[in-house]
Amino acid sequence: MSDKPRKFKGGVHPDDSKALSKDKPIQDAPLLDSYKVIMHQNIGAPPELLVKKGDTVKKGALLAKAGGFVSVPLHAPTSGTVKMIDKCPGPTGMAVPCIEITADGEDEWGSPFEPVADWQNTDPAELKQRVWDAGVVGMGGAGFPAHVKLSPPEGKEIDTLILNGAECEPYLTADHRLMLEQAEDVVLGAAILARILGLETAVIGVENNKPDAIEKLNEIASKYNVKVQGLPVNYPQGAEKQLIYAITGREVPIGGLPMDVKCVVQNVASAVAVAEAVVKGRPSIERITTVTGKPVVNPGNWRFRIGTPVEKALELVGGVNEQPAKLLLGGPMMGIAQSSLGVTVMKNTSGILLIATDEVSLYTSEPCIRCGRCVEVCPMSILPATISQAVENKRFDWAEELNVMACIECGSCSYVCPSHRPLNQHFKRGKIEIQAQLRKKK
Amino acid sequence: MLSEFLVITVGAILVNNFVLSKFLGICPFLGVSKKLDTALGMSGAVVFVMTLASLVASLVNKYLLVPAGLEFLQTLVFIVVIASLVQLVEIILQKVSAKLYESLGIFLPLITTNCAVLGCVVLNAKAAPEAIQSTWYGATIYGFCSALGFALALILFSSLREKLDLANVPKAFEGTAISLVTAGILAMAFLGFSGLV
Amino acid sequence: MNIALIAILSAGVIGIILGVVIGIVAKVFAVEVDERVEGVEDLLPSANCGGCGYAGCADFAKAVVGGDANPGQCPVCSPEDITNISEYLGISAEEKEKMVALIRCAGDCANTVRSLYNGVRDCRSAVLVAGGAKGCDHGCLGFGSCADACPFGAIEIRDGLAVVHPELCVGCENCVSACPKDLIVMVPAAVDVHVYCNSPEKGAAKRQVCKTACIGCRKCVKASGEEDHMLVDGFLVKTNYENPPQPELVEASACPTSALRLASKHAAGEYEGVSK
Repeated sequence: MSDKPRKFKGGVHPDDSKALSKDKPIQDAPLLDSYKVIMHQNIGAPPELLVKKGDTVKKGALLAKAGGFVSVPLHAPTSGTVKMIDKCPGPTGMAVPCIEITADGEDEWGSPFEPVADWQNTDPAELKQRVWDAGVVGMGGAGFPAHVKLSPPEGKEIDTLILNGAECEPYLTADHRLMLEQAEDVVLGAAILARILGLETAVIGVENNKPDAIEKLNEIASKYNVKVQGLPVNYPQGAEKQLIYAITGREVPIGGLPMDVKCVVQNVASAVAVAEAVVKGRPSIERITTVTGKPVVNPGNWRFRIGTPVEKALELVGGVNEQPAKLLLGGPMMGIAQSSLGVTVMKNTSGILLIATDEVSLYTSEPCIRCGRCVEVCPMSILPATISQAVENKRFDWAEELNVMACIECGSCSYVCPSHRPLNQHFKRGKIEIQAQLRKKK
Repeated sequence: MLSEFLVITVGAILVNNFVLSKFLGICPFLGVSKKLDTALGMSGAVVFVMTLASLVASLVNKYLLVPAGLEFLQTLVFIVVIASLVQLVEIILQKVSAKLYESLGIFLPLITTNCAVLGCVVLNAKAAPEAIQSTWYGATIYGFCSALGFALALILFSSLREKLDLANVPKAFEGTAISLVTAGILAMAFLGFSGLV
Repeated sequence: MNIALIAILSAGVIGIILGVVIGIVAKVFAVEVDERVEGVEDLLPSANCGGCGYAGCADFAKAVVGGDANPGQCPVCSPEDITNISEYLGISAEEKEKMVALIRCAGDCANTVRSLYNGVRDCRSAVLVAGGAKGCDHGCLGFGSCADACPFGAIEIRDGLAVVHPELCVGCENCVSACPKDLIVMVPAAVDVHVYCNSPEKGAAKRQVCKTACIGCRKCVKASGEEDHMLVDGFLVKTNYENPPQPELVEASACPTSALRLASKHAAGEYEGVSK
């Protein structure tokens, strides 16, 4: 492993607008009257409901158990009663099942497990089970169950654990503040994850635009034999495959997983969740979220419980000073546009971003002029222009041949396209159609 | 001798390409060039029939028509010969190799009246007596190479048309119009080979 | 005269020889082909829509002759066509009721709340952005994925709403799977009264985003009296296609949102501007 990180091919440098919130310390959101916890917060199978209407639950109590191996349990964000189990707006715009909990104001802990006293001498399998029981998912955005990544199949050897603190998305500063204020927990989480994987060490990758975080981590890192690696500032540096390349020089094959190149990548926020689950015995029920954007009166970083409605979250930060044009969950590059303020904070909601009307430009999509800029910036080295045309003409077989499945939907191509073509949307569509066809064949 | 064959080969494939410079066989060139797969099938069938037709027609011409002084019957006889040949090939293929018939079969009837095949045969018959094309083996090689030229043009064009499917074509140019424009440009590109031989 | 005679004779001889050769070869290399396949193919519509589940009309013809398929499976053929094919093959065809597509939404631009959407003009792509830029999660997005899928031009996009023209629809079901909102169902062509709404939300919530939603007021259910012509499913009423109502029901029930419509009048655009 060289000290100098490699630069991956392509990438863009959008205005990061992180100054809005990067110096705002993390604040704890006050207890709300009610929370609407979306049932399915992870990639994979939805969890199985355990409570019913009228049940009283303690904070951290199980609401639902894992519905399979690639699934995680769900815990109550506070103590109170289950008001109803209904549908509420989901992050994709469709109504999804959720559990509404009315808080009793006591906020009394009822965690289903005890803290692990001496994790350094605990069986790694037990620690892994704890990560699963605590419902830890990839908190950077994807929501992939953490324990699955920690369970390489027979014959797959893992030699590198990477913690993702790149936070390359513009606007978002949640991970930045987390690394600064909870550096101890981040490093502790890294050490625990390394123990689970049977590794001596771990690497925390941080983009060089966060020198204070790198410094802070470095102070503590040596204590647990963890290494901190500064990374060049280049979007999408925080994408799993790009991060692995930058740190180890290994390329994940198309359709492959990090474990194919002996790597495991976890988000820094997930590492903190792991540390809290093991050392404090607390399930994953809260997360740091950046509430930001030009219309937000007082942008900042907040510790929200899962199930906090976005509407309430915006009230907490002091509301908005103008009618926003767009609401995104996540950053401006990969975040998902929302149609309702009723959507709630999930385990993978890294940011709530409002875009002002004067920041939004309405373009009509023009034909491709074959300038090749999208090809230049594509970090996965595929051909966005051709693939988008194939999808546009419903030639999904062709799109598949051109490796649309390798697309990580980073949006760099859409960002640079001078014809304002909705390239990313085409890829999403193409991937969905191809997956549907594959399912049909099976 | 060898150089003469080389001249025929290069000449028939590139310089005097049947489709793009002699403008023969335009019908299948436009008709079956929508997909690369069908273009490949058609090319295979044309290569097969054209080589065989050149051989048979050259024999019929040399040993039947010329001695009897019936050169003016060439067109008529050649058409009959080609048509029956295609029929025979189709019937035999269907029985002997069902697999080959599946891939080439549907294209065979299309070639019966393909002017590229007739043109090739007529050109052979019209060749000067001292030219290599007037011998049966010369004629066969010329037929084979011309068919390769046809195949080249067809495959190039079908690949282009597959790409054209993805393009935003103005409404007035959609369909055959843009295909013909493309074919014209392709023909102009092949003009660059003139003078090579 | 002489040369002409020679020409005629030799051309004739060549023709006869080739003819005989082909005849012999055809006999020697004869392959059994069922002529009826071609016969059936001629009787089929040759639209190759795939509505029968086979890859085109030729494939279907092969299956019909082989006994694997019934002529009635062709959704495009008229009853006479099917009778003809059955007679040709000497088999009995199963009777089939003509079905047409029904798009269960009446929310055109004038009657619904829509947000700004600037992406790909295709329904299946549009649902990827916040579930489609329409206030109602269950409404027609109007980008015409179904119209693109229809090989018969039976679906028209009118003011942001897909409208089926029942007289053009042949019931091939190609549009059903094209709709990302699952709005399209096949209904008997003989029934004219339909509820043009598919939202299971509460009436008030539907009213907020759409003026032509079925709010579940049950006026039509009451108007149909003792007969269960209309079925109630939560906050949504549906036509009972087992026991369909007469067209008069639409007038009699005076649907307050005009979600209850006649398919024929809906296609002709006679409901524009009638919602209150």
